[in-house]
Amino acid sequence: MHWISLALKNAGRRKLRTGVTVSGVAIAIAALFSLLSFQRGYQVGMQNELERLGAHVLVVPKGCPYDAASIALHGASWPCYLKADYLQRVSQTAGVAMAAPILMNAVYDNSTGEQFVYQGAEPGLMAVKRSWHLNGTFPQQARGRLLGAHIAAKLHVKLGQEFALPGLPGETGVVSGILAPTQGADDDFTYMPLAEAQRIFRRPNQLTHILVRLTDPNRLDQVVSDLRGCDAGMDMNVVPLAHLFHTIQGLVNSTRALLGCVAVVALLIAGAGVSNTVLMAVTERTREIGVMRAVGASPLDIFGLIWLETVQVCLVGGIAGAALALLGAHGIESWMRDRLPFAPTETLIRPEAGLLLVCLAVALGLGSMAGLLPAWRASRLTPIEAIRAGGGL
Amino acid sequence: MNSVMAEIVTPLPAVRPLRPALIRADGLTKTYQRGNERVHALDNVTFNVSAGEFVAIVGPSGAGKTTLLHLLGCMDTPTSGLLALSGTSTSGMRDGALTRLRREQVGFVFQHFGLLPTLSVAENVTLPTLFSRRRAAEQAEVLLDRVGLSHRRNHRPHELSGGEMQRVAIARALINSPSLLLADEPTGNLDSASGEAILALFQELNRDGLTVLVVTHNPWLAAAAPRQLTLRDGRLVQDTAGPIP
Repeated sequence: MHWISLALKNAGRRKLRTGVTVSGVAIAIAALFSLLSFQRGYQVGMQNELERLGAHVLVVPKGCPYDAASIALHGASWPCYLKADYLQRVSQTAGVAMAAPILMNAVYDNSTGEQFVYQGAEPGLMAVKRSWHLNGTFPQQARGRLLGAHIAAKLHVKLGQEFALPGLPGETGVVSGILAPTQGADDDFTYMPLAEAQRIFRRPNQLTHILVRLTDPNRLDQVVSDLRGCDAGMDMNVVPLAHLFHTIQGLVNSTRALLGCVAVVALLIAGAGVSNTVLMAVTERTREIGVMRAVGASPLDIFGLIWLETVQVCLVGGIAGAALALLGAHGIESWMRDRLPFAPTETLIRPEAGLLLVCLAVALGLGSMAGLLPAWRASRLTPIEAIRAGGGL
Repeated sequence: MNSVMAEIVTPLPAVRPLRPALIRADGLTKTYQRGNERVHALDNVTFNVSAGEFVAIVGPSGAGKTTLLHLLGCMDTPTSGLLALSGTSTSGMRDGALTRLRREQVGFVFQHFGLLPTLSVAENVTLPTLFSRRRAAEQAEVLLDRVGLSHRRNHRPHELSGGEMQRVAIARALINSPSLLLADEPTGNLDSASGEAILALFQELNRDGLTVLVVTHNPWLAAAAPRQLTLRDGRLVQDTAGPIP
């Protein structure tokens, strides 16, 4: 017989009570694991999304820069527009390597109820979207269309094929290129020449945003300052994406800190519950503790045994909590995505092995702390006290 | 009483042994505070027990028998007086040293058996070796065989009869090869047949050299012991081995 098996058998004696205690720990650990996985998923998702955008600076119409960034990243109709001639001012600003004008619009296909996002752009966009891999070419002709991987699959179109633009009755195009999957929103976009988009959406000489790539990203602050000071600076919003990322991440971190407090409170309550349960078990098993002392157990043996029982309960709770979080990840992701004002298209909940180990370590630490009081009380019982309290042997 | 019973309970002649003293109790006194009252559980009890003796401690309820057993088993410490086990004085010993002495020298058998319900018979027998940090699976098998319970090794205590449970408790008490076996009312919860079997087992162990001290109210069990110590009101009032010192 081993200490671990003895402790396990003791912990499993009152299955319902132990189960309820384990559930308390499991819920707290599930909350912690989900929180950490969300934090990780959001951070990685945001980073990847901004990297895929390829720009260092986003130039958008006046208004909320976060809303504008969200629309530029995920695709939607814009409430206001930039004048096309701002592009020249932006391009001429010192430190700007490439400025790619975009006109974006989203339309609903009444027949399916689905939204389709179109972007008008120039071939120079390829210099910004360096991570793109194309099958075919960026549209050179007015009727040419570049499709994201998802939308191409959904429309069942191939290179060179003519197709009707969904949501735009009477408009057609020819597939000039198909994007390799990017795992981002680009997979659902349809690109066309800028002038063609301005014609279709009746926005001549208008843009929704400009993607700006710098010659030296280390000079970001200087270039942003110059852009804001140019002739068009008063009529447009210059959004440095690194700052945007840090700001959004800061907001998420604040929320995480709040949720983290909730998780800590849940852990403390679970720990108190475990401690209380084991204290009750010690009281119930006073006679057995007396027997063990009589047959040679030292106070340290009793301390170790009760402490081990508590740690086992918390560790089982930790494993169950992690499993619960993994099983519920999809549901939590959907719930959070509906409520977040700005969410990356990638998975929000990213449960990594490292985070799992952190959560199991927390469960272990919780058990270690929660077990101290009952273990100390049990070890303080003298054999004779234990036997008398248990009604004799 | 049938012939087997008669054979078992026939007392052997009380002879003062010439073997070395395993237990030396000199002026053992134990007092408790119960509210405002001071209770003298044991009062100046003096006796010796040699290795290999079989002694019954008898007396009315409240005479101090169990208290004496607890002191002899190093489960409690006397208020005053001296106690030595195998020549080692327990006076002033700390809890750790008392635990070691108890683990190495003493085996306990309780009236209510004291088996852990979550453990199997074999696990209950080997429980003390967990605390003495040694493996004794083979010895446990030998002991279970000796008490006639090898076939019950994987059963739980609640699946056993009272007599079987007490035999498991005896096997557990012997697993660390103690020099002294202390039994507190070992037949108190058993029918007469089971009680006879337990007594026979004690006698067999004693014949093999084990020192056995039994606290009992059972007259035939007491009569079967070659030596009886009688306690009354915490005092040793009779020792069949000789005059009270």
